[in-house]
Amino acid sequence: MPKLGNPFRTLVVLATVAAFAFAAVSGAGAAPARKATTTISGAGSTFVAPLIAQWISPLGSAYGYELQYSAVGSGAGITSITSRTVDFGASDAPLTSDQFAACNGCEQIPWALGATAVLYNLPGVKNLLHMDGPTLASIFMGKITTWNDPAIAKLNPGVSLPSTKITTAHRSDNSGTTFNFTDYLSHVSGPWKSQIGTGVAVNWPVGSAGKGSSGVAGIVSQTPGAIGYADIAYALTNHLKYFAMKNASGRFTTPGLRAMLSAAQSDVHPAADNSLSIVNPPKAAKYANAYPICTFTYVIVPLKSSKAADLKKFLFWAVTKGQTYGPRILFEPLPNPVLVVDEKAIAKIHT
Amino acid sequence: MASLDLADRTRRPFTGRRVRFGDVALQVVAGAAALAVTVLVGLITWKVIDGARLAISRYGFHFIWRIAWNPVVGRELYGAGSFLFGTVVTSLFALLLAAPLAMGIALFLTELAPRGLRAPVTALVETLAAVPSVVIGLWGILVLGPALRTTIEPWLHSAFGFIPLFGAPSAAGASIFTAIIVLTIMILPIVSSISRELFLGVPHELKEGALALGTTRWEMVRGVMFPYSRGGIAAALILGTGRAMGEAIAVTQVIGGGVFIQWNLFGGGDTLASKIAASYQGSTTNLSTSSLVYLGLILLVFSLLANITAQWIVRRVARGHGVTRGGRA
Amino acid sequence: MSSQGLTGPALHLDRLPRRRRVNRVMELLAWLAAAIAIAILGVVVFSVARKGASELNFSLLTKDPIPFSLTNAPQGLANAFAGSLVIVGLATAMALPVGILVAIYLNEFAPGSIRNGVSLVLDLLNGVPAIVIGIFVFGLLVVGHGQNGFDGAFALACLMLPLVARATMEVLALVPNSLREAGLGLGSPQWRTTLSIVLPQTIGGIVTGTVLAVARVAGETAPLLFTSSLVGTQTSWNPHHALQTIPVAIFELSESPDPADHARAWAAALVLLIFILLASLGGRWIATRKRTKTTAR
Repeated sequence: MPKLGNPFRTLVVLATVAAFAFAAVSGAGAAPARKATTTISGAGSTFVAPLIAQWISPLGSAYGYELQYSAVGSGAGITSITSRTVDFGASDAPLTSDQFAACNGCEQIPWALGATAVLYNLPGVKNLLHMDGPTLASIFMGKITTWNDPAIAKLNPGVSLPSTKITTAHRSDNSGTTFNFTDYLSHVSGPWKSQIGTGVAVNWPVGSAGKGSSGVAGIVSQTPGAIGYADIAYALTNHLKYFAMKNASGRFTTPGLRAMLSAAQSDVHPAADNSLSIVNPPKAAKYANAYPICTFTYVIVPLKSSKAADLKKFLFWAVTKGQTYGPRILFEPLPNPVLVVDEKAIAKIHT
Repeated sequence: MASLDLADRTRRPFTGRRVRFGDVALQVVAGAAALAVTVLVGLITWKVIDGARLAISRYGFHFIWRIAWNPVVGRELYGAGSFLFGTVVTSLFALLLAAPLAMGIALFLTELAPRGLRAPVTALVETLAAVPSVVIGLWGILVLGPALRTTIEPWLHSAFGFIPLFGAPSAAGASIFTAIIVLTIMILPIVSSISRELFLGVPHELKEGALALGTTRWEMVRGVMFPYSRGGIAAALILGTGRAMGEAIAVTQVIGGGVFIQWNLFGGGDTLASKIAASYQGSTTNLSTSSLVYLGLILLVFSLLANITAQWIVRRVARGHGVTRGGRA
Repeated sequence: MSSQGLTGPALHLDRLPRRRRVNRVMELLAWLAAAIAIAILGVVVFSVARKGASELNFSLLTKDPIPFSLTNAPQGLANAFAGSLVIVGLATAMALPVGILVAIYLNEFAPGSIRNGVSLVLDLLNGVPAIVIGIFVFGLLVVGHGQNGFDGAFALACLMLPLVARATMEVLALVPNSLREAGLGLGSPQWRTTLSIVLPQTIGGIVTGTVLAVARVAGETAPLLFTSSLVGTQTSWNPHHALQTIPVAIFELSESPDPADHARAWAAALVLLIFILLASLGGRWIATRKRTKTTAR
């Protein structure tokens, strides 16, 4: 029988294969020997991602859970939990009835309270410029195009505004933050509501698109004259300026913890599907200090899950102990009435 | 003795022999693999059509030129028009930029370069082909885009701003223009390496004959090499275009995004591929997902057409030049 | 030698200086084109090298990422390196045998029309954009079952298959008929001849083709976005779950506003680039060595 080709060549091939195998095996061995941990995987909102990131290590030490979270946007989170690709989804936009039906036995539970900041980048101008809803709507509709437009100047008397062109930044992916932002604009601007509307993604007439809250924050931080929207946590971590928004009571408020708490008072009774709407609280003494673009954000879980016990433990922890990690990054702990509803909802999960 | 015609590459000079089990086994297993590959391509086509079915039944062919992409629930309306426009514009401009560069490189490597330089430069150009698209996209967002935004775009705008193509420079460096440059870089190696092989294949006698008649080298290239390789170059260009059309990742990183057709090269937009990459993960309704797959179907059809056309041209050219199947092209 | 009283076409000799000038310009343009190509490559590689080298440290390969880290704890992309190794390895294991078998069938058994047909199919497969492959595998395997490493590997295998098959076909065709006849003449059946005599001659070419195919898919992002992108931060070698991969990690980091993320992206890009360059150049080196060996017969 003829020889199997040049022995040297065969040796080289065998050696390469052996090297790969050795690398793979030793790599696997070198991975830290982990005790049997339970993995809880989730996907969704980039809005709440900073808060969830704070939970990973305390959860690991408290219960031995390995929390995995992919911040792919609220829309992708909903589709992921619908197809049961993950154990929980996260969305800032409440599910529509169609989405509930598609999810087939899911419930949504508000588990964090945050605010959408309107970020801007204008070198040489101070932080916390004043802005109001109708003007903001005009900017995002492309009707106001420069910073020294009279509408903006009127809100900021005494501030010298340059003639820089305004570039708006919005989300390219389906986003609960977009939902919150457009919901607010629909409440305060008739033209916005009729021409564009509310949604996790809308037909933006102008502007650049970024993926995820970090994408929008990225555009704003790199583009002089840009205005975008993202969870306030992204403004802080990236040292971006943001507006003080005029609320229904006429005050210019910023997305701080007290302003969020005040806004949260405007809807303390979750609907049957546990959703709450706290954008643009009406004019009243109670909401005088409210920031008008706040939102609850929801975790979406199947009522029936093989990991029911772990999910319940995780969620109980999240809505109680987990809230204490919030204030640092401007997530206000859940108000008590909401907490009560949450605990009842969590108890409904079964195997 | 059975004919050993070299043109017949079917190695079966043993008709009439006893058929062994091993032979049948190998043929069956290998044949199954070939069948699997065929089934795979069919499956891909079928799955893509199936995924787009909802959008096709809802919108029909109008989808292809409708300019809309409204995902707001209750007002949903989708169309491929602006993305088709984006694909055509970016690929076409990339081709316009890459073709002369690629020809130049190929000519350099076959006619002009000193012997010692040929191999290293060839290797370098082919290395450019090896750089993954995500790395070029990374470089595009962080280096090229900002550089273009501060240098070339303002210059072009101030010099040619009266043409709507050269409108206001992009805000963040992400623009159709950046995407065009990125695509040019990506298709350059393909077109140039195919052209180089074509030019190497031009028979010496033809080239030397022309030179002997007193033509300059450029006239020889123009009069002999280009006409001779005409078909192959066309195929190379078509293949390059196909590659540009299908590029999703690098383009989506640098193109800026946008739904409406606008003529400013420095504005944002999307191509078929980049829109799919950007929107697929977050698509919530069945209609929007199906519309995205419909985009993929259009892209697939174009890519396959480009591929088949290039193949057909190559085959015709090979026959025209009398190349038999037995030799290497 | 200018015109010496010649008439007719010889008048063209008067245009010689102009023609020479045009020729010179064209030559310069060709040199310029080559210089531009080298410059582009140089700029890209130099950018990646310079920006990547500063962040390139051991933690990149050994530590997992910590998203939204409020401290300066060391982090890296260990999960992505592990995942890439697993997924590309699996893809190679899937594509290599099928590719070789297809090439054997087309070269050794198939009648002309089938060979042309399947060849066309292979070229069509090669021409399908990676993102469409992503959509396909998503619809076929991911919907209803979730993402996992095997799906990602399968998608990459679809991209590798035409490259491996084509490379194997080319080297199989190079094996001279005399070898096959010699085997048959010695009484070896066709299957034995193919596997023990013909195939070993082609190992160099197969290795080259495989290495080049690996280099190609190591950097593929689009199909993995659909099949293996919902991942956690901890390193895992288990392909039953979605695994993070280098190209997807670079993609995600590139869109972040955080300069620290960009630095990690550059470093990962540098490692990826080095790997791909070594693989491409290595593959071609093996090919040239093999070629000189066979031609030096």
